[in-house]
Amino acid sequence: ALQQAAGTPKRSIQLSNIVEEYANGRRVSRVLKLSPKKPDSGTEEPMEEPKTPKRSNRGSLAGSATKSTPKSASKMRLIRDGTIKPTIHSRDAPLGNEMNELAIARERLHVSATPASLPCREKEYEEIYNFLEGKIYDGCGGCMYISGVPGTGKTATTTAVIRALKHLSEEEHIPKFEFVDINGMRLTEPRQAYVHIHRQLTGKTLAWEQAYNLLNKRFTTKAPRRTTTVLLVDELDILCNKRQDVVYNILNWPTMPTAQLIVVTIANTMDLPERLLKGKISSRLGLTRLTFQPYNFRQLQEIVMARLVGMSSFNSDAVQLVARKVAAVSGDARRALDICRRATELADDQARKTDQSVTVSMTHVQQALTEMITSAKVRTIRSSSRMEQLFLQAVTAEVARTGIEECNFLGVYSQYESLAAFSGVSVPNPGRAMAICARLTASRILICEGGSNDIYQKILLNISTDDVHFALQASKLL
Amino acid sequence: MPDAKNDVNNTRRFLKSRLISDRASFHGYEAERQNIHDLLERTAEHGESNSALLLGPRGIGKTTLVTSVLAELLSKETFYRNCLIVYLNGLVHIDDRLALKSATAQMNLENAVDGKVFGSFAENLAFLLECLKAGDRKKSKSVIFLLEEFDLFCSHHNQTLLYNLFDVAQSAQAPICVLGVTARLDVIELLEKRVKSRFSHRQIFLLPNEDDFDGRLELFERLLKLPTEQEMRTIDTAHPSIPSEALNNEEFTLLRGLFNPRQFSFSSRWITQWNRHIDKLVENEETLTVLQRMYDYDVLEGPFRMLLFELVGNLDEEHPTITVDLIQKLGEEYESDDKVKLLMGLSVLEICLIIAMKHHSEIYDREPFNYEMILTRFSKWANSSSSMKGIERPVVLKAFEHLKQLEFIAPVTGGSLTKVQKEYQIHRLLLTHGQIHQAVQRMPLLPTEISQWEQSSLV
Repeated sequence: ALQQAAGTPKRSIQLSNIVEEYANGRRVSRVLKLSPKKPDSGTEEPMEEPKTPKRSNRGSLAGSATKSTPKSASKMRLIRDGTIKPTIHSRDAPLGNEMNELAIARERLHVSATPASLPCREKEYEEIYNFLEGKIYDGCGGCMYISGVPGTGKTATTTAVIRALKHLSEEEHIPKFEFVDINGMRLTEPRQAYVHIHRQLTGKTLAWEQAYNLLNKRFTTKAPRRTTTVLLVDELDILCNKRQDVVYNILNWPTMPTAQLIVVTIANTMDLPERLLKGKISSRLGLTRLTFQPYNFRQLQEIVMARLVGMSSFNSDAVQLVARKVAAVSGDARRALDICRRATELADDQARKTDQSVTVSMTHVQQALTEMITSAKVRTIRSSSRMEQLFLQAVTAEVARTGIEECNFLGVYSQYESLAAFSGVSVPNPGRAMAICARLTASRILICEGGSNDIYQKILLNISTDDVHFALQASKLL
Repeated sequence: MPDAKNDVNNTRRFLKSRLISDRASFHGYEAERQNIHDLLERTAEHGESNSALLLGPRGIGKTTLVTSVLAELLSKETFYRNCLIVYLNGLVHIDDRLALKSATAQMNLENAVDGKVFGSFAENLAFLLECLKAGDRKKSKSVIFLLEEFDLFCSHHNQTLLYNLFDVAQSAQAPICVLGVTARLDVIELLEKRVKSRFSHRQIFLLPNEDDFDGRLELFERLLKLPTEQEMRTIDTAHPSIPSEALNNEEFTLLRGLFNPRQFSFSSRWITQWNRHIDKLVENEETLTVLQRMYDYDVLEGPFRMLLFELVGNLDEEHPTITVDLIQKLGEEYESDDKVKLLMGLSVLEICLIIAMKHHSEIYDREPFNYEMILTRFSKWANSSSSMKGIERPVVLKAFEHLKQLEFIAPVTGGSLTKVQKEYQIHRLLLTHGQIHQAVQRMPLLPTEISQWEQSSLV
């Protein structure tokens, strides 16, 4: 397997390059030109391409230098070298600090304001901490797999552990180590992982083949006084493509005695290694696993209260209501925090209107919950035009008549005609009825086929018939 | 009288340009508007990160709402100096690559020179994320991402762009606000679970009022009346001018070429005369009937504006006012069936074929047919009729093909059927029997025997 691993990337360079070039809408011929590459030049593609006129927006350096302004080419080189630091425009004046109590609460409740120690995750923290600390002390490599549904504190706990360890190593309680983190969703394709890892180690941006070669060299050759590297891989499932070469390499390096690499992988599904990964890869991933359970309502309440320590702006019953509602659906901490934040905004609005200080009470939370959990399908039906309501009624009538959920337009139209005659309105002609159908489809109350089938198109109700009846109860047409 | 002529033309131009390009004024929906307003203001002026979705049926005014809020905010210096607007449209930016290039150019990052972005897709994404990561809540400008046709962004590969935008909004980086605008009500179900978890679930629904015909009449008046001098003044205060500095984003075109009522001037006598006329129009019983029928059919403002545009287009020197007749004509046109009109323009032979098809589908309960079946049915009748004897086979085939091109009939699509000769290809009739009946009744100069044949399939 080891030889195979060493063999695979060699071939994959050319293969995948062809794929990538196609994806970029470029010709294949460039792949052939790519192969004589000087590894010592820091540029990505040594280019002599007179044929493509619009080069400037693609990243080739030497080629674009003649066409586009030299400014952009040299700037690109500086960016790739890491000399130009990425920045964003700054404000006119930095923000001040004057805030009322609700605004402070809102700031603390923002999902980004991660506390120094996460409440209700002490056990998991301990486990990850022991694993990493042990590995760093021993100077050996290893893997760990962390899973759990979104919003259960996986990444926050892991980064908190690493922050603590970094702090310890700065005070020289434990050996020094390097920390690299990549996120599968921040990559355009799995192989870009090499580029990101390499950039975080050296600061330079290379093509992925070069980055891979350098990383491979770094991890497979012996070097005295090498420090341990901790690699955090978030959203592991995105890195799994069909070949799974990237995941394989990332999990294979720790097995090398020379690498001193500790890989912590995070994903959502618990059985990802067995379900998605090949046997040899899940074997390398090992059995050191940790599952983050969804928060129950007590924990969610504790999380919110921990962020509001020392503040009186929140009613504790209100927090409990949020915690219970969210825990019943998903146990997602982000959701609970967002709802609380929305509730503070509502309280703020009220304070502005009544001109006196308001604490967040049960009513605000109730309002925020209805805003953020409900869907508006029933309201949409109620507010649609009478002809649209009649059409929906015709669809339910046709479903009831045939007993099948899928009905066709002709059948619905004949129901429509009789319903219209029943309620004493003139029927829109088939063309207009089809326009009504298309309108209801645009807001996804109905699902129907495209227009090429014309009057034979199939119509499906996207909500339950009970909802339609409920929504139309008060309608004048019934 | 050249003066009156001038007034009419001016009025037409005024009304037309108000119907089309008045994107910055928005009426009603105070709570929703305030919600969006606060959201954007908090992002720009307090550096809060947010994400929200604006939902509602097509034509309700979602874009107008956002435009009007931005028009109000952009006139304030504290807003436009502290924030960047990035406008992305799912119909234009059909994949993440294009969207990222456009976002980079609009944010004017280091790797963009004169609106051109260099580097590959992967580099662009990495660079954008690092720029946002380098930002911080207190010091860097806020970025407002406006994603129109949000549902189309959900179909991008892995939803990379959405994940990253929402992720930035949920972490301590540069303050951004992601505002998605879409007509699909179930758009949240399209999001992947990790993207969904990062989205803050603020959904702002823009729904028409229930059963609000009075509102429709008000709208009718508001869109057709000319503003008096006093109203003009309130418009001026409600629409402060936007400094050109705030609009240097080339891709954000929503606020360009806005309607400016000051370009037009009317004599005050004309204004009172015109407005009195509109008042009288609204009280007219016949107008009300037409408007009510339109309202029964469609309650949204967007399509109604287009109808009024048609109405206003009729104004000229000879017709200086909007009359009840014009409105009734519009209503008739609105309710008429285009397919019946098209049928009425067919030749006698073609209408005979259509009748044969109608009989066929009545007898066999809409079974598909081919040319030979229809020809047989037609010939049976034609032989006994006095006027349609002796029409040759190729002529009938030509007529059949003409019907196919007009899409009155369509071939049944399916696996091996395409190889069949054209006389034997099976087709379906795309008309209801009622439409055919109407057309035959209304067709001028149709021989009596044909309309009799239409009544019954017995020859």
